[in-house]
Amino acid sequence: MAGRGRGRGRGQMTFNVEAVGIGKGDALPPPTLQPSPLFPALERRAAPLPGGEEGEYMLALKQELRRAMRGLPYFVKPGAPRRDIERYSDKYQLSSPTDNAIDWSPDWRRLPRELKIRVRRLRKGRTAPLVPKQRLALDKEETIKKLESLEKKEEEVTSEEEEEKEEEEEGKEEEEEEEYDEEEHEEETDYVLSYFDNGESFGPDSDDNGDEAVY
Amino acid sequence: MTQAELRLCSLLLQEHFGEIVEKVGNSLLRTGPRPLRLLVGDTGLLPDQVKKALCVLIQHNLVRYEVQPRGSVEYEARSERILRILRYPRYIYTAKTLYGDPGELLVEELLLHGHLPMSSAVARVANRLTETMEDGKTMDYSEVSNTFVRLADTHFIQRCPTAPESPRNTKAPPPPAPTLAIAEKDMYTVPRLSLHGKGKRRHSCDEDEEREHKAKKQKQEGGNSETPPDDGIYWQVNLERFHQHFRDQALVSAVASRMDQVCVAPTSIPTLELSSSHSNPCFFFPPIQTSSEVVRTMLRMSEVTTASGASHTQPLSSNEIFRALPAGYNIGKQVLDQYLALLADDPLEFVGKSGDSGGGTYSVNLHKALVSLATATLESIVEERFGSRCARIFRLLLRKKHLEQKQVEDFAMIPAKEAKDMLYRMLSENLVSLQEIPKTPDHAPSRTFYLYTVNVMAAARMLLHRCYKSVANLMERRQHEMRENKRLLEKSQRVEAILASMQATGAEAAQLHEVEEMITGPERQQLENLKRNVNKIDASENQVDETIFVLESFIESTMKRP
Repeated sequence: MAGRGRGRGRGQMTFNVEAVGIGKGDALPPPTLQPSPLFPALERRAAPLPGGEEGEYMLALKQELRRAMRGLPYFVKPGAPRRDIERYSDKYQLSSPTDNAIDWSPDWRRLPRELKIRVRRLRKGRTAPLVPKQRLALDKEETIKKLESLEKKEEEVTSEEEEEKEEEEEGKEEEEEEEYDEEEHEEETDYVLSYFDNGESFGPDSDDNGDEAVY
Repeated sequence: MTQAELRLCSLLLQEHFGEIVEKVGNSLLRTGPRPLRLLVGDTGLLPDQVKKALCVLIQHNLVRYEVQPRGSVEYEARSERILRILRYPRYIYTAKTLYGDPGELLVEELLLHGHLPMSSAVARVANRLTETMEDGKTMDYSEVSNTFVRLADTHFIQRCPTAPESPRNTKAPPPPAPTLAIAEKDMYTVPRLSLHGKGKRRHSCDEDEEREHKAKKQKQEGGNSETPPDDGIYWQVNLERFHQHFRDQALVSAVASRMDQVCVAPTSIPTLELSSSHSNPCFFFPPIQTSSEVVRTMLRMSEVTTASGASHTQPLSSNEIFRALPAGYNIGKQVLDQYLALLADDPLEFVGKSGDSGGGTYSVNLHKALVSLATATLESIVEERFGSRCARIFRLLLRKKHLEQKQVEDFAMIPAKEAKDMLYRMLSENLVSLQEIPKTPDHAPSRTFYLYTVNVMAAARMLLHRCYKSVANLMERRQHEMRENKRLLEKSQRVEAILASMQATGAEAAQLHEVEEMITGPERQQLENLKRNVNKIDASENQVDETIFVLESFIESTMKRP
């Protein structure tokens, strides 16, 4: 009984075809043998976008927001990839922040404890004790970072060795992490970093090639 | 979570927070709440990277954490909050229209940073405003904090839940994660701070000196004044309130376009269609757009008293509404009553009459309003996609609920063949569905009614899914365009940087011209095209987001009803 009626008559279906509106002898569209195209043809053009002051302003806001978010520390960039060969100039390049650093200081009281990143320190004793600060504004941090780097350079001229240091309080973390960054790449150099010119800058050459003979 | 939503979430995270955060967010969205070590294993990233990403996500309220009974902490991504990133420009623009530049910048800073304490938010905004002002002028903190207080009073920003006070004797080990909570009454109270100061302007020349000064001062001062007075009190943007505002805006403009005259020349006498049914012996020229103003007043009065998911506003008496009308409006009490009666009688049922005390109590029926808005959106989509005759059939089905094939042809006055074709097309797109009504228990096809119907909820969900897909496609296309022209963009940025530096050092016009020539004509053309395309795609994304808002509000409101 199940197979009866199959194949007899074109297009027999389980429901009453007339009720839905397909009359007897009406041409049905051909059966589809493939999935629908990826970009179906547009039958009618879309209505134009509403312009006007509001639309323009929101457009500008959106692009501005995108650009601003890229510059914030919340935009997590992956750490600098390790090159296959260690190059000489690696020592002198200021690298991007390593994976261990958090560039902004969240309020650790509101976050689970396991999310705190502890970084091992390689430093010698500091001259001035840093005061733990809970929140620093972003620009202040940059200031401190720059200042630390200058200080470090001065210290390194006299320092010879590095020591392991214990973990310190949270408040000092972000600043010390930044110093750690500088430290890692400025090991054992007697040269002040800012004087190194790797030849990529624009503009006239500096005047400190008095040693070389001029041909 | 549908595939389209997942894809859109990951694109949004990638664009705004980078690849690492995207991977972490993706893993959380696809596999649900999990603890940290499983997350590290899943994503294959370094543990420190994952921790960093989680900190960022929690800061922005995109991920929440929960302490499990076993002691581990589980993290869960909030997908609906991630989708709100698309709407940030709209929030900021709304704040600008309501509270001016300080309001705009406050909301922007809070959105960019997730949550901020009041002092630092005010300081940042004051600095930004100062930079845009003319030389010599600075923005005072008091103006910015006034705007802050106003934002908090109208509930546009709210306090974040706070961590509990740490106990004095730490005999028991502290919990792995704090449980944050906040009382309802505290959510909008602004701490009494005396913020004094003026915004600082950053000059490019003495920027470095300033920074050195500041850093040195901090180190000397030590920790005495570094904990700001509102330590631990963070503020975030209250997105629900903004959504309420958008909904009210949409309602008011719907009433305006339905009942008020479209445009009025200032010299012509306004002929209101409403006044024709009421004989007004005295000649006066009522102010334009009165009905929308009435509805706007009613909504404004119920702003803070109505819960966010309520289906009706609180009932308001006609006297109260009359007193609350804006000062400039001088319509008589009688006229107001007439308008209210008209609004209540309107078949759209935006305003309902709930009693007669106080001159008649009226309330705005928010749920019905959302239903009408969503239905109007559906109708408009059908019209734009399939044509006006299809739209006619669609509206017919919406009105009559269930119709047979023959009846559709008759009511819509469309020839049978075309009606059939249109119905099948809409059926294949799932906008219209077939309902079988059997006459006999054996469901024989020849003895069954087949009725066409529109299931609004299902159609709305389907279209919402499509909207998410569209936005994701738009974003991908935009990123593709930028990637294709990356080289050209970098070149143009370099040229601009050179130009700027040359102008700063005072170069002659000929040199500037020479530098400008570095970008050739065809390249300039290409850049123009790129800019135009990217602008168009961005504007489209904003536009689709408006549709998403209407559909989402409708679905949410329908789901909430008991």
